[in-house]
Amino acid sequence: MISRRTFAALAASVALAPSLALAQDAPAPFDNPGQVNIALVRYLSTGDFFQAYLSGVEKQAAALGVNLQVFDSRQDAALQADMVDQAIALGVDGIIIQHGLTESMKEAAQRAVDAGIKVVAFDVNVENPKIPQIEQSDRDLARLALEAALADNGNSFVAGYVYVPGIAPLDRRDETWKKVKADNPGINEVAMFGTLDNPIANSVANQARSVLSANPNIQVMFAPYDEFAKGVKIAVDEAGMSGQVSIYSADISTADIQLMREPGSAWKATAATNPAVVGEVSVRALAMLLAGEDPGPQVIVPPTLITQKMLNDLDIKNMEDLGAKLPAFAHADVAMTPWMKLPPR
Amino acid sequence: MTSLSPTDLAIRYGFLLLMAGMIVVFSLLKPAFLSPQSAVFILQSVAITGILALGVTATLVVDGFDLSIGAVATSAMMLSAYVMVIWEMGALTAVVLCLLMGAAVGLINGFLIVKMRVPDLLATLGMMFLLVGLQRIPTAGNSISTGMVLADGRTATGTFAPEFLMLGRHRIDFILPDLVPLSVVVLVVIAVLTWVFLELTRHGRVMYAIGSNAQAAALAGINVAGYRVLAYVISGVMASLGGILLAARLGRGDVASGNNLLLDSVAAALIGFAVLGAAKPNAFGTAVGALFVGILLQGLTMLNAPYYTQDFIKGAVLVVALVFTFALSGRSGRARR
Repeated sequence: MISRRTFAALAASVALAPSLALAQDAPAPFDNPGQVNIALVRYLSTGDFFQAYLSGVEKQAAALGVNLQVFDSRQDAALQADMVDQAIALGVDGIIIQHGLTESMKEAAQRAVDAGIKVVAFDVNVENPKIPQIEQSDRDLARLALEAALADNGNSFVAGYVYVPGIAPLDRRDETWKKVKADNPGINEVAMFGTLDNPIANSVANQARSVLSANPNIQVMFAPYDEFAKGVKIAVDEAGMSGQVSIYSADISTADIQLMREPGSAWKATAATNPAVVGEVSVRALAMLLAGEDPGPQVIVPPTLITQKMLNDLDIKNMEDLGAKLPAFAHADVAMTPWMKLPPR
Repeated sequence: MTSLSPTDLAIRYGFLLLMAGMIVVFSLLKPAFLSPQSAVFILQSVAITGILALGVTATLVVDGFDLSIGAVATSAMMLSAYVMVIWEMGALTAVVLCLLMGAAVGLINGFLIVKMRVPDLLATLGMMFLLVGLQRIPTAGNSISTGMVLADGRTATGTFAPEFLMLGRHRIDFILPDLVPLSVVVLVVIAVLTWVFLELTRHGRVMYAIGSNAQAAALAGINVAGYRVLAYVISGVMASLGGILLAARLGRGDVASGNNLLLDSVAAALIGFAVLGAAKPNAFGTAVGALFVGILLQGLTMLNAPYYTQDFIKGAVLVVALVFTFALSGRSGRARR
């Protein structure tokens, strides 16, 4: 039997546990974080998503007090592999590989592991069991957006789809779209289009105008990338079809929030992971490896569904509001340990 | 020029016939293609590249080349967004500053090429990289939109002025209500002005003279350096105008390199060589070239053709047009030596 006193002691210790945990000293090498050097080796860097990802990496690295060095290969796969070698030569303790091609990064990543460096990879499969994969779950993103589309429009509608094959996250989102179509035979996909010509929104708008005039009966546009959704929205507005077409997408930015909140906007919902949170998680997973802990082979950052109604009801104006008012968006409780220091909010 | 052989006829009217044939085919396959709305959005889709292409034409006329136009356009887009969203100034200020920026870039390009003797491709290539980087420095690589958080922690409260957005979005009643977007009107006005300038004014003729033989033109007492700088200023201003229309359509400052804008507009200007057998850069040809690419891409999109086939066909058209220019009209084809 538990006596009242032991119960009280237990309760007290439970209540104290979090503060004790916070006070817990960080394990080596984070007892002296100024000596820890990590490198971020990037393949993609242009655009709001990658900018926000970088800010997340920087903030989490600063919170831990480690030194961060950023290598940016700007979509040059060979250069990215060279940069990993450069980081090895500089003697960093840990490397985050952000995007890239499996073929070019696999061996470079192995060389880093062989040199005793801890490595994590975000959104690139380097086929190495020693390297944890950080992922924003693209399938979950697409699933959340499509569930919203089905909830709003029933399971039978005429759809247009924006897709460019060969881009890994878009391919994964495409798998979900195919599955949802198979499960809901009432979905009639009459048009598939898409381009990555930049400015992407402008090029997609031109295409979407043609598609809408060739298929004026479209009710749902699935545009699983926010640049696509922006383009489709421009076309829908120009065609005067905002009342009839609903847009469902993935990803979010401050500009997207403004567009979704325009009166009568056709952009109904988007599913997104916060790129800054993904950046923070990448650093935390690497920190766990450096401290000798195991973040697991896959670290998945869960996405959030963001609807037009949510944004209006909570009066969310930008990404900061979104983080503040939708806590699920501001912090993902993955790759966490008791000693982990989080960036201030 | 009294009687034309079949080859001459093919060279003169082949491209226009091809375009007419294309319209017929698309209309048969997709009846929606042949509607006033469809015609208007094809024009709208080529408005921005068309204006840029007319700027490129001006530099091609003096036997130069401007690789920086795409970057000028996206810089103007970022600048207009910066002026209105962060500095919270009006539409007029934004437009004026963008045009000044375009003119300044043109002046610098001209200075580098004429005074510093840097080859045109290299000078404008350098300018392209410079601008792609420069436009991102003020916002640390982020796109600009209302509500964005600035470096000092404030939230940007400025918005795109409605008059500015009208440039890309307002529609004028023409045959049908709300039919023609302002950007199309701007394109048509610019095309006519460029045509008049290049074909009918002394300045335009002088620029062609410089393009075909700069030394002879200089010996004839023409201010060659001045006209070459002018060509780059025209190109810069047109590119910034294209950027303004782009910003007005997108409603935000979008981080983009503008390389596709550059390639599409150069393609339009080069296709223009083939129109009416001109075998030289010309405003009418450039406008038709831009329209040709627009019709092709919109028609193919209506038929659900994926983007890579569109790139393929765009390339094929360009190659055919260049063959028209350089092989078939070989006798007069000394366009770019």
